[in-house]
Amino acid sequence: MSKSGKLLYNWPDNNFDESLKFHDASQLGDIPYDVAIIGAGIVGSALAYQLSQYKVKVLLVEKNYDVGEGTTKGSSAIIHTGFDAAIDTLESELVTKASLEWPELAAKLKIPLRKCGAIVIAIDEEQEIQLDKVYEKGIKNGVTDIQKLSGKEVKEIEPNVSEKVRGGVLVPRESLADPFSASTAFSEIALQNGTDIILGVEVTAIENKSEKIKTLVTACGKKIKTKRIVNVAGLGSEHLARIYGGEEFDTNPRRGQFLIFDKYSGSEINRIFLPIPTAKTKGVLVAPTIFGNLLAGPTAEDYPHSYENISETTTEQLQLLKEGASKLYPKLQEQPVINIFAGVRSNCKQGSYWIRCNDNSPGIITVAGVRSTGFTSSPALARYLIGKLQDELGLNLEEDPDAIDSRPENKWPGWWKPGYNIKELVDENPDNGKIVCFCEQITKADVIRQLDSPLKPRTLDAIKRRTRAGMGRCQGFDCMVPIAKIISDHCKIPLAEISKRGPGTEISSTSTSNN
Amino acid sequence: MNSNKDYKAIIIGAGPAGVGVAMKLYNSGIKSVLILDRNDKIGGIPSFYKREKGGVKTFMRWSRGAYPVFGQDFAKWLEKLISKTDIEVKLDSLVLEIDAKGKTVTFVNPKDGKLSVSAEAIIMASGSREENIAERKWLAGARPSRVMYTKQLLNFDKNDLLPIKKPLIIGSDVIAYAAAAKLKAAGSSDAIIVDNTSNPKCPIHERLYFRFWTNPSFHGFNAKTMEIEGKESATGIRVNGEHFDCDGIVISGELIPNSELALIGDLKVNVLSRIPVINKNNQLSEPGWFAAGNIRGGFHGAEWCYFNGKRTAVSVLKYINKK
Repeated sequence: MSKSGKLLYNWPDNNFDESLKFHDASQLGDIPYDVAIIGAGIVGSALAYQLSQYKVKVLLVEKNYDVGEGTTKGSSAIIHTGFDAAIDTLESELVTKASLEWPELAAKLKIPLRKCGAIVIAIDEEQEIQLDKVYEKGIKNGVTDIQKLSGKEVKEIEPNVSEKVRGGVLVPRESLADPFSASTAFSEIALQNGTDIILGVEVTAIENKSEKIKTLVTACGKKIKTKRIVNVAGLGSEHLARIYGGEEFDTNPRRGQFLIFDKYSGSEINRIFLPIPTAKTKGVLVAPTIFGNLLAGPTAEDYPHSYENISETTTEQLQLLKEGASKLYPKLQEQPVINIFAGVRSNCKQGSYWIRCNDNSPGIITVAGVRSTGFTSSPALARYLIGKLQDELGLNLEEDPDAIDSRPENKWPGWWKPGYNIKELVDENPDNGKIVCFCEQITKADVIRQLDSPLKPRTLDAIKRRTRAGMGRCQGFDCMVPIAKIISDHCKIPLAEISKRGPGTEISSTSTSNN
Repeated sequence: MNSNKDYKAIIIGAGPAGVGVAMKLYNSGIKSVLILDRNDKIGGIPSFYKREKGGVKTFMRWSRGAYPVFGQDFAKWLEKLISKTDIEVKLDSLVLEIDAKGKTVTFVNPKDGKLSVSAEAIIMASGSREENIAERKWLAGARPSRVMYTKQLLNFDKNDLLPIKKPLIIGSDVIAYAAAAKLKAAGSSDAIIVDNTSNPKCPIHERLYFRFWTNPSFHGFNAKTMEIEGKESATGIRVNGEHFDCDGIVISGELIPNSELALIGDLKVNVLSRIPVINKNNQLSEPGWFAAGNIRGGFHGAEWCYFNGKRTAVSVLKYINKK
């Protein structure tokens, strides 16, 4: 059981648990890593998970204070079939492959997945003509279970669709799942299999990049030795590639704003409503979420890297979004919006899934342009990258018979299987009946269970993503401070030092980091 | 008399309205009453306005001449009323769902776990909350830390541990001015208050009252959008090309009824305003269901809610006695 990897946080605050603090590179031992993965988004986490099935020494480095905190957290949370992917591309191949394995994988990871299906909807004559193309493309992409529907048939299975509906293409296997639970699950299992994970650590330089053993230099001044580097830093990949002098490419952040509607709107539609896609984007969709809400989005706004306010929401675009989405589902205008958020996709001008092995330096892989399909493709992309590590970067892999590839039954999230449904659990631990988040009905036991989970999340956002506490209609009106108090009590951190997403984001301006 | 129900009346919410209903029913001979509240104490929102250093008397008692009190004192008075009866109160008890036709509520608490109980009459007195950022429609921008609702300020343990030194308050009703006073009393600077109206919503006499503690500056706008700024924690807002500086933002006032249980339970509710449909007998769209206090919409003080609870109880009594 001593197999578990090390988990270290670069947490400058003195009140943070000493045993979790990244003081010195020697804490990671002095044997160079076989592979260092930079970026713990969905792709980096999936890669760590799959590499952890082998006897290999792996480090996962993340600059944020939680996994899945970048591009991953702001997606539309759909497992795609790849029916509309560009034919004969790596993206199409990986998405199609991965979509078939997700149901089984989700069960192993203990993340909820709901196969709700999607309908591409045509609401005018021009769009109706396009439906044949959508259908044919789907078949060519190997999604053979799609069906053409007449306007009447669409209306029958989706009574709330626009009256203007002229036809549709049904894609039965499109599914709902939650990308941040997936990154967490992947990383937790990797950690338990021996992967070292360091959080709050930004790589700012790479020394000896042409040598067999390279040195990562971090913003916090630590030096870590590794034989290989996989750059899966999402929006940060371009900057990182410049540090090691990889082939030039341009990412432009593409902002996607979303509207989240309250749960009683969630049952208004049964399937994901998709517009006819364009070359640039899948367009504005309306979809139920795995949590039971309704979601509309995303917008597709391209900005240069220098644009500072990239992750902000704007009233104007949200209004346009609402108008756009209500073309498919007119009653959307009557539904109450409870949250707005902006996600950022990392769009690469040189193409999607732009991957370079031995990128101007031996032993370095650059991965760019993994856009909104990254959640779906992640397990297949991880396997593809492992193939590259073996074939082109000389990594020898031997399966680890002791490695685990799933989480235990008790890891189903509380919002999915509430502890209070079982009287024995409440009798055993009354916190299972103590609701702290009223809107999402999340218990104190859920929060504590997450604080004690392998990645030891300590920020409010990390707890929110894992438990859903604070994601409901009141947006933390009732529960934000009570949850901060639970973290404070349980982890012995002063209340003023509890933060939203790490140092600098403390809930109180009396925090020591402000003085 | 219908004997297959667990209680004569169940009241959801132990704030001023809920206690008002309970006391009137009890004193009129209805002894089989259960009050459920999701908080750990009786008193509802007033109980969060604490009598301690940095506290501000923001609640008015009109019944014995107008005089200001601490919310916590008002809550204690309500608690005392209940303690003199044998009304059953279950705290830490969140109602998960209701069955409108079966007149049943299902709740969960640390002692009972999940439990369903029924009554002849059920009164929703679950109050209201402040509208969130998305619900205000004209608020957008960044999502830094230290953007909080007034309730979150009140949730900090001690008044003198308030989390903002240089506050900016969005919203201009009495809750906003009370928050400004409370922050100043706890050691912050005078707040900047901004709203999407040309004048403060808080009436002049109430603003004058809070002058004793603070003199916040008000900035009114007619703006399509107001954007929150801050990469890490809140640093300000921008509106119509102007920037206002702060180290924390309080989103204040603009109450929205906590009527979701009714909505999910198929009682008629206006989805956008969340105001339940209530007839002249204080009844909701199914017989035997009633509403009292701020869940009815609008913004009312604690004492109004208490008396509204009593008035609603008269309708409840009529309903029970008719059966």
